[in-house]
Amino acid sequence: MGKNTSPQRRTRQQPVLLRFFAALSRFLAGAWHAFRDGDASVKLSALIWGASCFRRRQFFKGVLLCLEQLVFIALIVILSPDLIKLGSLGEVQAQRVYDPVTRRNVWNDYDNSFLILLFGVICLFLLALMIIQWLRNLRHARQTELMARKGRHIPTFAEDAANYFGRKFHRTLLTLPTLGVVCFTIIPLLVMIAIAFTNYDRNHLVPTNLFTWVGLTNFRSLVSMTSSSSFAYAFRNVLAWTLIWAVLASLSCYIIGILMAMLISHRDTRGKRFWRTCFTVAMAVPQFVSLLLVRNLFADVGIVNTLCKSCGITDWLHNIGAIPTANVIPFLTHPAWAKPMILLINIWVGVPYQMLIATGILMNIPGELLEAARIDGANAWQSFRNITMPYILFITGPSLVNSIVSNINNFNVIWLLSRDVYTTSDQLMAAAGATEVDLLVTWLYRLTQDQSNYKMASVIGILVFIVCAALTLTAFSRLTRGDREGAFQ
Amino acid sequence: MRKLMAIMLALLLTGLTGCTGAEPAPDAASPEIPLRVWVGDNADIPWMEQVIADFKAAHPERTYRIEIGVQNEGDCAKVILSDVEAAADVFTFADDQMTSLLNAGALMPLQENAQSIRNANTPESVEAATGVDGQLYAYPATADNGYFLFYNTDYLSESDVQTFSGLLDKASDAGKKVAFPMANGWYFYSWFKGAGLDMHLSDDGVTNVCNWNAADTPITGAEVVQALLDISAHPGFIEADSDPFVAGLKDGSIIAGVSGTWNAAVAAESWGDSYAAAKLPTYTVDGQEVQMASFSGFKLVGVNAYSSYVGDAMDLAAFMTAKDAQLQRFRLRRQGPSNVEALSDPAVQAEPAIAAIIAQAPYATVQRVGSKYWDASAALGKIIVNGNPDSIDLQTLLDNCVAGITAPADQ
Repeated sequence: MGKNTSPQRRTRQQPVLLRFFAALSRFLAGAWHAFRDGDASVKLSALIWGASCFRRRQFFKGVLLCLEQLVFIALIVILSPDLIKLGSLGEVQAQRVYDPVTRRNVWNDYDNSFLILLFGVICLFLLALMIIQWLRNLRHARQTELMARKGRHIPTFAEDAANYFGRKFHRTLLTLPTLGVVCFTIIPLLVMIAIAFTNYDRNHLVPTNLFTWVGLTNFRSLVSMTSSSSFAYAFRNVLAWTLIWAVLASLSCYIIGILMAMLISHRDTRGKRFWRTCFTVAMAVPQFVSLLLVRNLFADVGIVNTLCKSCGITDWLHNIGAIPTANVIPFLTHPAWAKPMILLINIWVGVPYQMLIATGILMNIPGELLEAARIDGANAWQSFRNITMPYILFITGPSLVNSIVSNINNFNVIWLLSRDVYTTSDQLMAAAGATEVDLLVTWLYRLTQDQSNYKMASVIGILVFIVCAALTLTAFSRLTRGDREGAFQ
Repeated sequence: MRKLMAIMLALLLTGLTGCTGAEPAPDAASPEIPLRVWVGDNADIPWMEQVIADFKAAHPERTYRIEIGVQNEGDCAKVILSDVEAAADVFTFADDQMTSLLNAGALMPLQENAQSIRNANTPESVEAATGVDGQLYAYPATADNGYFLFYNTDYLSESDVQTFSGLLDKASDAGKKVAFPMANGWYFYSWFKGAGLDMHLSDDGVTNVCNWNAADTPITGAEVVQALLDISAHPGFIEADSDPFVAGLKDGSIIAGVSGTWNAAVAAESWGDSYAAAKLPTYTVDGQEVQMASFSGFKLVGVNAYSSYVGDAMDLAAFMTAKDAQLQRFRLRRQGPSNVEALSDPAVQAEPAIAAIIAQAPYATVQRVGSKYWDASAALGKIIVNGNPDSIDLQTLLDNCVAGITAPADQ
């Protein structure tokens, strides 16, 4: 492996935020200059979007722009009641009167805090979009004016449209995915984030009750311990276990998977295909089925416990003080047992996948490298240490990071193995609705599903995101640094 | 909904037209009344179909279109709370969810014949269906949702099952076990209430009041915990919630245990003629024998306050819980009625589980508990099962537990 000596190609860039604000101010200044320097039609198009287009005889485009403006205004007007109430999230409590004649309930025109929040956020989003479109349109109008002044050809609508299937085809293609991301990811995400700053919980459930903004209260109760709340304690413990779990679970599967792949790929191993098939079959069973099965095997009344009891292992463990009662081995019901068990079971379900990936990589190691090493007199360990392992690490480094991040959110394994089985014996954890084996994500699920505590769940969701983002960004920026790119070329 | 539709339309028609296709306004004289009803189990569907057929026959003047859905009674509230407006018009739920449903405003108080419902059902079941404001919010449907003692007459006599120590001694002599779900707040309550300690919903309808850690009660909480530690350490004891209990019934390792009617069929099948049921035993605390208390349990039928046809929904709920429907339910599903007349039916009286429930009734309390009770009490139970491994002072354990139980519900 020759040292990479090529000079660093990328120059140090300014921080992202700084670049963003620079671009933003350029954009705003451009729009302002366009308005200041433009002719009357450009100035008028600040009020009527299509004005400048009509002046330049782009009638169809002008009509479309006016229509766009109308749609924006119509939507914002429809949503404006919610936008106005966004500050308080509604004040009219639901009230019902039973009408004995029609035998139906008559409701007042009550506020639904959640819908106000949702539509308010959508409305804000539309407003922002409308302002951007408005400023862009001003700049365009000015550009077209300058083109007309210079006597250059102004594109007709047909030419513009054709452009979207030619030079700008990527924009056409990306329209649908972008819409999807906005509707199904960005707006729900904004609403979820907003909930972290409200008191939306079981005492403020819509539509009967209203919820409102509470600022940073929820974040404060997650970091500072009070006499009535043990969220801070639970959060520290759950976060610690989440990180330990993510690292141990990923590394164990990774290392064992690679070792297994190497064993199977070894030239002295017979029946390679048979062994590989065995492990692939294990993958063919849906994960939740195998997990539930294992949970039953290791339950307090499961078959493993029965076996251990009848051959005396349980009594022996009790005698050496490893288990609290002489009846059962608490494989999945005692924190000291459950955590290692869950890690072991995760190895069992996770290794085949990792093994398959590693097998593929092993097949791709340039044969001549190993061949050359062998001729130079390298033994098996040396060629593993100096060729195979660096190669695998280089190829799978990003996926290792990815697996750590996805293990932070590994809901299935923890939930399926602990649900209905694991009861915490930590009183402070219990008061916060958490257990020792919970990851942040399963705790979040418990909070929403069992306790309707949406505000805290949202806070935890934000923190999970921060943890994952920080991990991913630092790890990837290290793994894919410029000086590593040429390492295996 | 209308607003969402308006936005969709506006998007579709690019703002050319306004809202043209609003929902058809529900019309009082409309020919067909759509209702949705949730039952607790797939096995309830044949019963419900029969009830609906009878209901339609009893109301020939109106046309109903009734859809049956299945929603487990145990977590009905969870589903309803996530979207009250989309929930069924009529639903069956276990009475432990009364508090959260009331707080969410999901239940319609009875309007027309509340007094006749009160008269027709047992006072306890009526109490379970009553809100903190004294109004009746649901229709009692069954009265057998509490717990009692199951035992195997091959090993245990009627005098053995009078005391918990008697049960444990006989079981350990035979190399068998007595099961109790210690790490489950619903059952765990028995010990403390039996010793005269109290825990219940406070007047605000949200938080709990609890004196388990008080020093001035005749029997203190610390003495109860000590008694429970002794019981848990007894070789004849096993902590077992429903699943392990059933497993122990089947493999014969458990010869007695505390559970409810939902396991009666399994017990009858596993133990055959040796299956018997009784009220809960007494247990020894601070040198005296005290009777274990319990939560009584009821299944209730509620009407969604946000239903478009609350009047008709209330008619259906009343019909579902009337004497005839309850008897049908007993015949098809072996579920014990709350209706006084149905309860006096000889066939009902002959059912061992129902007889045990009736015997336990004087020591049973209607469940009125705020949400913070469950995890805190389960954690204490778990510590006891583990034998208090960190040797924490019992009073400290109780103080922590009570702090958890009485915590404000907004945390």
